[in-house]
Amino acid sequence: MSDVCVGKIISISELNVQIMINDEKVKYHDMLYAMNKGKKIQFEVQEEDGRVASCIPFQNVVGLKKGLDVFKEAHGLEIQYSDEILGKVFDSYGGLIDDSHIEEVSKRNVYNRNISLEEINLNGGILWTGIKVLDFFAPMQKGFKMGLLGGAGVGKTVLIKELINNVYKGFNSNSVFVGVGERSREGKELYDEMKDADLLDKMAIVFGQMGENSAARSKAVFAGLTLAEYLRDEKGQDVLLFVDNIYRYVQAISEVNAELSRIPIENGYPANINTAVSNVEERINSTGKGSITSFQAIYIPADDLTDQAVQTITTHLDGQIVLDRKVAEKGLYPAVDVFTTTSKLIDIDKIGERHYHLVEEALRYYSRYQELEEIIAVLGIEELSVSDRNVFYRTRKLRNYFTQPMFVAENYTGIPGEFVNIDDILDDVENILSGKYDEFDENNFLYIGKFNGRKN
Amino acid sequence: MSEFIENLVNAKLRNMKNMNNVYEVGYVSKVRDYILEVVGLESVGFHERVVIANHSVGYVTAIGKNSVMVALLQRTNVIFVGDEVVTTGYDFCAMYSKAAMGHIVDIFGEDRLIGEKFENLKPHMIETPAIPIMERGEVNRPFYTGIAGIDLIYPIGYGQRQLIIGDKKTGKTQIALDTIVNQKDRNVICIYVAVNKTKKNIRELYENLMKKGAMEYTLILAAFNDDEPPVSYFTPYAGLSIAESYMREGQDVLVVIDDLKSHADIHREISLLSGKIPGRDAYPPDIFYTHSRLLEKGCQHKDGGSITILPIVETRGGDITDYISTNIISITDGQLVLSKKNFEKGLKPAINYGLSVSRLGGAVQEAEMKKIGAVVRRNFLSYLETKEVYQLANVDEMSPEMQQSLKEGEELQERLLQYKFSPRTPEEIKSHFMEVVGNQL
Repeated sequence: MSDVCVGKIISISELNVQIMINDEKVKYHDMLYAMNKGKKIQFEVQEEDGRVASCIPFQNVVGLKKGLDVFKEAHGLEIQYSDEILGKVFDSYGGLIDDSHIEEVSKRNVYNRNISLEEINLNGGILWTGIKVLDFFAPMQKGFKMGLLGGAGVGKTVLIKELINNVYKGFNSNSVFVGVGERSREGKELYDEMKDADLLDKMAIVFGQMGENSAARSKAVFAGLTLAEYLRDEKGQDVLLFVDNIYRYVQAISEVNAELSRIPIENGYPANINTAVSNVEERINSTGKGSITSFQAIYIPADDLTDQAVQTITTHLDGQIVLDRKVAEKGLYPAVDVFTTTSKLIDIDKIGERHYHLVEEALRYYSRYQELEEIIAVLGIEELSVSDRNVFYRTRKLRNYFTQPMFVAENYTGIPGEFVNIDDILDDVENILSGKYDEFDENNFLYIGKFNGRKN
Repeated sequence: MSEFIENLVNAKLRNMKNMNNVYEVGYVSKVRDYILEVVGLESVGFHERVVIANHSVGYVTAIGKNSVMVALLQRTNVIFVGDEVVTTGYDFCAMYSKAAMGHIVDIFGEDRLIGEKFENLKPHMIETPAIPIMERGEVNRPFYTGIAGIDLIYPIGYGQRQLIIGDKKTGKTQIALDTIVNQKDRNVICIYVAVNKTKKNIRELYENLMKKGAMEYTLILAAFNDDEPPVSYFTPYAGLSIAESYMREGQDVLVVIDDLKSHADIHREISLLSGKIPGRDAYPPDIFYTHSRLLEKGCQHKDGGSITILPIVETRGGDITDYISTNIISITDGQLVLSKKNFEKGLKPAINYGLSVSRLGGAVQEAEMKKIGAVVRRNFLSYLETKEVYQLANVDEMSPEMQQSLKEGEELQERLLQYKFSPRTPEEIKSHFMEVVGNQL
């Protein structure tokens, strides 16, 4: 088959190739291509100005020349799928990168799915993760979107891997993992670990990692979403969707935006950041047919939680787990900041009175502890009143108690992981706060599962 | 005589036509420092090498509708508007010869000490595509630096990217040098990439490594302060491209990049001069990708061979949460944070153990080292935190457990101290710390 020639290249920069269109018509998101020294370079139309179309190239443009003929493909960006997607690894454009292939494929355009208000389904049961600090402060529900926020190097990826390990095994459903702008090494490790644990046949993986150009990083999430939607819409399944890291999607769009010479907003983000994020987040929803439950890692640039991109993404979420460098610095992992970590489930009607009041009480202790720390730095512990001293020691125990050995970090810590039931967590927290465990040293609470009343 | 010349010219023209490389000629229309605008080049390729006024070298950074942008790499004379620009038909490449091992070279394949080019230079693409995910192997072989604080607590493995970050004068480069020196007889090729260093710095470094006998297996790939900025920008990519070619032969390679903060600043300078839209802190929005694609070259290849990278970043006022630092931290497999305070207290190497991280941790340690390391790390971190909170407390009133752990912490701190160029073997490290924590294993 011969595609129609639609025009010629008239300007080239790393991420923006302009094409003078002849009498043919092209539109937003059309796929074009040119042959450069036998290699195919694909472009996606982003903008049109009269007869000049600005496009982002999907491949490297080194050696590309002006005047080359450009052709149009029959369809926009599509991804192949079938029952066989599970256990396979895709790139951002839906190509398989694990030397496998899929038979009897159907294809879907990656942009086309919109969910109507009528389709949306809110119901779902609570989903326990077995991670103490998460289940206690930010419980998860089927169909929720949970954000994992953290600056660089405070443990987002370890936590998301632990969640895959815990939730996935308990939830017993299929899942899609989307790696966006993260380390290739970790991507490969995830693949190997899933394979070793015999879980690979329940997961489809899409990678657009940090070594790839911004076109690839901005499309990976669409490819992953389309696969998840297939499982939800056509197979009627409850799907888990892991995105590591959704911030990188916004970052990639900023890069494209700058190359198109559009005026950015603060910190170089694109002016249409809200629309761009909504286009993705609004598709991650549950319908009457099936559900999508998602965990999304969100990188916090320069440790600035008020960053525009971070705030835009978190507006869409049902809960957030915030990881804090100050906690990590003390060697307490997962390094959760309990004050900003929350979930829509922390509601007296949803999790019950006992759990709700314990969360309130724990937060009261934490905030008093913070004040006391400042006092102690000046006066020392001896100067505190008895009740303040209790708050001080009990909060330190609680803080240590909320550390946890992780299955996926066993290699690092040398301690095997633990899955802790919510009832045990509530009992332990109640006992610590009520003073029942006052006789135990705070070190007995570090990196344990449920408290076993032992001194070590 | 004129007939002779005519024949010569005709023969040359015939040759050129046969070889299909009739060069195109354009003219400089604008000069802004080292960024030129050139008109008249209609069929030049993106990133093609061009020659300006017969003496200077540049490459094409953007092709516009009516003109192209050229960044200068080597300038021998003043460039004027109207100077001739000739295309070459080749993509711009770094030149490297294996004979350069043990020398200070630049990306054009010149020995910087004597100013001569090496023989058998081979072109190396400045940027090669990322190493595919499925070609990567597991990072699990311990890479020994000879420094106890690293090998024991925040270990490095072959194929790992470990950032060294800290203020000026906290010993960042020294840790890299210690690591290079410790690779003697370990069959590792070391490439030290200098970005924006002074000539004095590089001379000193060279002589230090020479004295320790480390230059035999080390290449210093250097861009000086007074080179054209695009050269400094390309040097780390060229370094990794050379490293990749060694890795593909099954070699283990260590690359030190000193330093990436300067590299980010150079990229910002070039981008702004080229009229690109700035983002956060006026860095271009692709600053993350600039470093991520560079550092993603670090890997353990599944067929053997590896590239271990130690990038260095300089901070101000000990703040590791600024834009560039956090970007790079989010790319690397861990960071070694050096603190001015520790340095001043004489705690050298001045590692801040609370802020440092190795994402691979025990996965790159052999079994015994891993066991000892895990205990030492946990106890030492808890000591540092307790010390801070209880520094005003009365020691006699503390529980005996607490007193014991404070004493142990001090002992550990003492044993982590180490002078420059005094590497310890893994066996020494293990036995040295077994004495303290052996009863807890």
